[in-house]
Amino acid sequence: MLHLIQNENMKIYRRVGTWVMVGLVVAAVLVAAIFTNMNASDETTNWRTDSENAIQQAEETLNNSEGMPKAFKDSQERSIAINEYRLENDIPPLESDSIWSFMDSSTGVVSLISIFTIIIGAGVIASEYSWGTIKLLLIRPASRTKILASKFIATLLFALFSLVILYISSFIIGGLFLGFNAVDQPYLTYSGGDVAETSMAIHYIVEYALASVNLLMMVTFAFMLSSVFRSSSLAIGLAIFLMFTGSQLTYILSQYDWVKYILFANTDLSVYFDGSPIIESMTLGFSLMTLLVYFIVFLLLSWLLFTKRDVAA
Amino acid sequence: MAVKPVVQIRNLTKVIGKKTIIDQLSFDVYPGEVFGFLGPNGAGKTTTIRMMVGLMRMTEGEVLIDGNSIKTDYENAIVKVGAIVENPEMYKFLTGYQNLVHYARMVKGVSKERIQEVVQLVGLQGRINEKVKGYSLGMRQRLGLAQALLHRPKLLILDEPTNGLDPAGIREIRQYLRTLAREENVAVVVSSHLLSEIELMCDRIGIIQAGKMIDVQRVNDFVQNEQAVMVSFEVDPVEHAVHAVKANFPECDIEQADRKLTIKIEHELIPEVTAILVEKGVRVYGIQSSVKTLEDVFLEVTGGEQVV
Repeated sequence: MLHLIQNENMKIYRRVGTWVMVGLVVAAVLVAAIFTNMNASDETTNWRTDSENAIQQAEETLNNSEGMPKAFKDSQERSIAINEYRLENDIPPLESDSIWSFMDSSTGVVSLISIFTIIIGAGVIASEYSWGTIKLLLIRPASRTKILASKFIATLLFALFSLVILYISSFIIGGLFLGFNAVDQPYLTYSGGDVAETSMAIHYIVEYALASVNLLMMVTFAFMLSSVFRSSSLAIGLAIFLMFTGSQLTYILSQYDWVKYILFANTDLSVYFDGSPIIESMTLGFSLMTLLVYFIVFLLLSWLLFTKRDVAA
Repeated sequence: MAVKPVVQIRNLTKVIGKKTIIDQLSFDVYPGEVFGFLGPNGAGKTTTIRMMVGLMRMTEGEVLIDGNSIKTDYENAIVKVGAIVENPEMYKFLTGYQNLVHYARMVKGVSKERIQEVVQLVGLQGRINEKVKGYSLGMRQRLGLAQALLHRPKLLILDEPTNGLDPAGIREIRQYLRTLAREENVAVVVSSHLLSEIELMCDRIGIIQAGKMIDVQRVNDFVQNEQAVMVSFEVDPVEHAVHAVKANFPECDIEQADRKLTIKIEHELIPEVTAILVEKGVRVYGIQSSVKTLEDVFLEVTGGEQVV
């Protein structure tokens, strides 16, 4: 099995296109850093007054929040608690041109990685058919199930590799352009009325992981299409189209309750940490279950079609 | 001596939709022999090969490779097979060597030395570290052969193996396959439209048409089993000769040309005819029996019709 993954990796990383994609990720970070640097303002605002204002505002909203959803009230309470903690412990919020807020905006590049991983995942099966190499690949003492699994794992490894590259490059590039001075700032979390300090580095790893849920689902979807249609362009096109229109689609349909069973209503898990889900009755557990069901269905379909179908043409 | 066949094909049938592509095919291939799989386009050669290597499911029947079923014991069966199905398509962005490493990783026990050995065997040592992109069809064919031989298979299946090779390459591959069969006791199944190739390369031939095996025979029997052959005698004087033959073999056809007498008789009778001619004082300058070529037999057996 390890050998099979090694093979798939060789077929991914020995191609120039793969490295162009990795290069584009780094380039996107670089461009973002240049723009952030250019727009950075030198004026320092007094964060203490800002925090005090924020507390006041939140308290007022809370007083007039009769009939507001609970999630909304929670977010106001959260804002009060965190700002009070800042004032007490003298922890300023992130400045817009600090390394960590740059890291925050670079999570947007994860969607670029999603597209690239979709391209890899869609090609990993379909290309073998279009190259004709599938005929030599399958006549080996390795079951089709194992070959399929190695392809899926290799695709996920590419996503992981790109995410690590993104994380490291946005840290280094962000630091070089904006300075490393804010590096030891803690991240404040709020849960059950208590505020706690955690490391920013870990916080952004979690952020990346949350942003990758969508990636994982769309890549698995593209992988399935690749196995069903054996055409990488169709798989890439359909997966990327749905990735961009999916959230709008769920938004348009959000008046219906069944929309919560749609994949795209569940891919953004960050709403359960700060924000509110599209349908109120949805919970983190529900979303995780729905995602799991989709994930299994996608993989099952890929497996069925890859292992049971004749290789003709 | 009963030699156990490497390949046993029993009632192999493939139905796609309502069409029967392969119909009750059965044949065996033995170790050390080169078996030619011959048939017009669309007869089902490639479909049969695909079923033999498990790329297609069989509707009915069974393929056993060294006693292991392709259907139920795939991994143990396929490990004994090396094959090129249709064109030897390789990963073009990898070098020849990387391609071989790729396939070597999929089987247990193929060492780096073995890869080098196979590269030498197919004569690619000079170009093996170049990308396959730049290979000619002949070089790809060689690389295809190399990947099929890596794991020392007991059965080698080659679809149109000489396709794209120059005459020297064809000769080389032919000799190599014969050596492989003779010295390493490998069973080789070769499919081809090139009849003359098959004739030179194979020990036995199976002719398939419209999904049915019409005939399986040894190459020598195939072309020589005809009782009567056409024999030309270069003689002088022709009239005497015609007279003598007519007297002794009244029922046989005689063609007469300038100094040449052509008759259709049984192979066994050629010395007798010669003796009679000599006895009658006819001067015999040459005897030539024209053996039917495989092509003649092939066209005869398949009825020469185009299968669409």
